[in-house]
Amino acid sequence: MSLRLFELMLTAAGYTVAISAAAIAIGLAIGILVCAAKLSPRLWLRWPAIVFVSFFRGVPLLVQLLLIYNLLPSLGIAVPSLVAALIGLSLCTAAYQAENLRGGFISVPRGLLEAADMAGLSPWQQFRRIRAPIALRLTVPALVNEAILILKASSLISVVGVVELTRMAQNLSASTYRPLLFYSVAGGLYLAINWIVAAGGSVGERVLRRGRLS
Amino acid sequence: MNRRILLQTVVGLALTMAAPIAARAEDALAHVKAAGVLKVGTETAFAPFDFIDEAGEHAGLNVDLFNEVGKELGVKIEWVALPWDGVFPALESGQFNMVAGPATITKARAERYRFLSPIAEATVAILKGAKDDTIKTPADIAGKKVGAGKATAQLAQLQTFGKTLPKPVEAREYPGYNEAYADLAAGRVAAVANSLPNIAYVASKQPDTFAVVTPAFGQKSYFGFIGTKKPDDQPLLDAVQAALVKIKADGRMKTLQQKWFGLAFDTPDVAPEPTF
Repeated sequence: MSLRLFELMLTAAGYTVAISAAAIAIGLAIGILVCAAKLSPRLWLRWPAIVFVSFFRGVPLLVQLLLIYNLLPSLGIAVPSLVAALIGLSLCTAAYQAENLRGGFISVPRGLLEAADMAGLSPWQQFRRIRAPIALRLTVPALVNEAILILKASSLISVVGVVELTRMAQNLSASTYRPLLFYSVAGGLYLAINWIVAAGGSVGERVLRRGRLS
Repeated sequence: MNRRILLQTVVGLALTMAAPIAARAEDALAHVKAAGVLKVGTETAFAPFDFIDEAGEHAGLNVDLFNEVGKELGVKIEWVALPWDGVFPALESGQFNMVAGPATITKARAERYRFLSPIAEATVAILKGAKDDTIKTPADIAGKKVGAGKATAQLAQLQTFGKTLPKPVEAREYPGYNEAYADLAAGRVAAVANSLPNIAYVASKQPDTFAVVTPAFGQKSYFGFIGTKKPDDQPLLDAVQAALVKIKADGRMKTLQQKWFGLAFDTPDVAPEPTF
């Protein structure tokens, strides 16, 4: 493989990483809001969150991407390929991340909160010092998992016209007739990226375990 | 926070992220000229019309031809590459102004879309392995596995032809023709059905692997670029049609056909009534 083609593969891998990272970040922000809404005692806050999660978790990402790319322009909203890909990935991962976070929050032992009540901690203090730190610690492994899943699922965004790592490998193996080489390189790059993400996750877990967050 | 604001936030979440809300232009030609960009949708796995070359660049007859069209209209060309079965839905939703492809001009498509001046013959023929002696005429594919692209007119021609044979053809559908060629090289299918310019190009690039079976078996047909029948799009398509006719008349088209097919076709200026 010539240097030029390897450069193209690396650039495509860069797209994969950049789009996935942006989607994870946007998805986390939306996920926090959705999780908060879902844990709220108020019904009118809960139901939109329930609808959101069931839609974006229940409809295949491929279908979501095609819907966003083809439906929104018919409604008069211009959606370039990159934007469609980012919206699709972000909303999909937001639904999963909201559920991951919720899992963390409902796993906080009830006894701790009762003890906090007895000690006279305000609800905000309970959230800040007990619920959030514990939930966060419990959620990090799932968050790393989700990041890796999104990195791999990002191969789907080629259906809306974004040339990411998998699509580039398809294109180059078609023009050079060497599929084995390019798919191996793509596989190796995915593995390397996800290995770094996983390693970063372990470091994050260790930091959270050590820290008292106060 | 009152209830209405919150509801708007939740409902509008998806919409606010699609920040660039473009107003629809009344007339596509004026819009394209004002923007200075003609957006063309296509699939980049259809050599020699559109493909990714050894240097990783998008190349082919379409790229050269649209560069000439762009010069005529005084605009730049912006390519949007999608899988083929996603190209027409995206054209209808307005993701681009027109489709390169090209597509075989068929009755069903001509009812829904406007075809511009044909750019090549599209009659379907068989591509086989270079060392395969069992296929000498198109009818020899009877009872064999033959590959073709999903949602293509070539696949429809193959299926129609297959029904006329003593043993039915097992048609295998592929997302793109490159996958079909790869499977032919690997021996997973006995042949691939595609239009003559395409398979002639493939066979000329890899004479040790592939060979064309003549004559073509399909009904005579042409390849053309495609636009919608929406009234707003017509002035733009008229302009592209005029540019194509001019490019044909002054011999630029013949030069491009020689360059990419190794032969030149006589094609009518106006898409003829399709026979199938």
